[in-house]
Amino acid sequence: MRDDTLKYLLVLPAVLVVSATAVWPLAESLRLSFTVGRLNRPGSLDQYLGFENFSWAFMEDPAFWNSVWVTAVYTVATVGLTTVLALGLALLLAPEGRLRSTARTLLILPFAMSPALIGVSFRFMFNPEFGLFDAFFGLMLPPLAEISWLANPTLAFAVCVMADVWGWIPFLTLVLIGGLAAVPRETIEAARIDGANAWRVFRDVTLPQMGPVLAVVVILKTIFSLKTFDQIFMLTNGGPGTATQTLSHYIYFNGMKYGQIGYAASVAWLMVIPMIILTYFYAKFVFRKE
Amino acid sequence: MSGIRVRRFLAAVRAALVVIAIFVMLIPIIWIFLAAFKNHVDVYQLKLFFTPTLDNFATVFEPPYLLGPKLLNSTLVALATVAVAIPVATMAAYGFSRFRLIGETAMLVVILATQFVPAVVIILPFFVMFRDIGLLDTRIGLILVNLAIVMPFAIWMIKGFIDGIPLDTEEAAMVDGSSRLGVIRDIVLPMAAPGLLTAGIFCFIIAWNEFLFALILTNKHSVTLPIGLALFKGEEGDLWNLLSAAGIIIMAPMFVLALIIREYFVRGMTMGAVR
Repeated sequence: MRDDTLKYLLVLPAVLVVSATAVWPLAESLRLSFTVGRLNRPGSLDQYLGFENFSWAFMEDPAFWNSVWVTAVYTVATVGLTTVLALGLALLLAPEGRLRSTARTLLILPFAMSPALIGVSFRFMFNPEFGLFDAFFGLMLPPLAEISWLANPTLAFAVCVMADVWGWIPFLTLVLIGGLAAVPRETIEAARIDGANAWRVFRDVTLPQMGPVLAVVVILKTIFSLKTFDQIFMLTNGGPGTATQTLSHYIYFNGMKYGQIGYAASVAWLMVIPMIILTYFYAKFVFRKE
Repeated sequence: MSGIRVRRFLAAVRAALVVIAIFVMLIPIIWIFLAAFKNHVDVYQLKLFFTPTLDNFATVFEPPYLLGPKLLNSTLVALATVAVAIPVATMAAYGFSRFRLIGETAMLVVILATQFVPAVVIILPFFVMFRDIGLLDTRIGLILVNLAIVMPFAIWMIKGFIDGIPLDTEEAAMVDGSSRLGVIRDIVLPMAAPGLLTAGIFCFIIAWNEFLFALILTNKHSVTLPIGLALFKGEEGDLWNLLSAAGIIIMAPMFVLALIIREYFVRGMTMGAVR
């Protein structure tokens, strides 16, 4: 067989699988977003009502705006905290040595944990009667011991952020350690000889060199933060009330619990738009070196 | 203090910080681990020292929890997902790596982008379709949608490995009269084997940990382990010792797999944006 034919036959199955499992549902979701789309009403999935779902979301649905707000704050908080903490940890773990190498190995463990399980474990730790954190605060700051964390909107949100940050620090740290290793030794030495202290070296040499890696990490983490569902579902299920209801969770509830699949699809597509923009920037980094 | 002493002191402080940081990162795992071996009473008393028991691991497999079928579902679904994804992805990866194709960049970008589509967007149309054709609560249905999340990783990861295989050997074999398919079978596949294994393990972990699809598509026959966690709610709230034992069963195999491929974890997740 000639290469000219073969090369297209090689990629064809993959293109078909990706089209069927990702491109089709994306297009079909867009179509559904313009329909009445009630799961329990036959025919409503082909009953079009123009942009009514979208205008309903924008104009008449405070719960939608609540989930947008929750997702936005959640994303800013988790991306910021994870990046800063991971950078600190990367600086701590980057040097060679047996202790640090063991530490780097152990760091992979939290990342192999399923997000749903992370949600469960944090619910466990913040249990008001016998959670680990509760006991910890009971010992250190007795007034905090009586708080039931997950029943308070602000604290429940904070616990969700904490669980997310905890789950993502290992991955970001490992990426940033790789980035640190790529900073040329000579540049750092030269700055040291010129009399720069550790902080100046970090700010003026290391950090600028880390720019592209940091950008990749921030974009990737932003995408995953925007999508967050699993931990939230297991940890607070969006509550108390709707204090931790992210967009994904709101879409799930509308589509699956209330059967409003058309409306869920339109909210889902509102979420796809920022993803497309972020993916565009991400793709630039992936294709940069080719 | 002399300079050497200061330096030694700082090194000790840093070593201590490393230990503390890793300990903090492992607390939730240690906590689950301890609870899994506690009996019902000890869990509720926050004991650090207790008589360990294996009862929880037996109880989770008994009625009404029956974790066994869920373990089977998780294993079969993840294995089948990998079994479809890896060969298909390998073919495509070779095609993208070795040839110029019309629309190549567009295809690669779309494949990359599908990783970022929120799972909840993908599942809405699939739910409607599976309801209509009777694929709800089947392993086949779950395998199909799992392909959506593993394919982009598999293609990009394997492409990275094949890009790293030098062209010379292939060209030499072609000059000696081997066909292209012969070259793929005899040269590329053996050389890429560690990469295929790594990508396979990576996809297995993703499929195994997948939650949202299984939550929406399954309710009885094809329930997977992560969804099974929701079972451990008794009259008096969560049954933490059983939840923890089930948690260990879910995460322990993934820990082993993650440690095997840890060198490639970062490259896999970032799809080559970070090398």
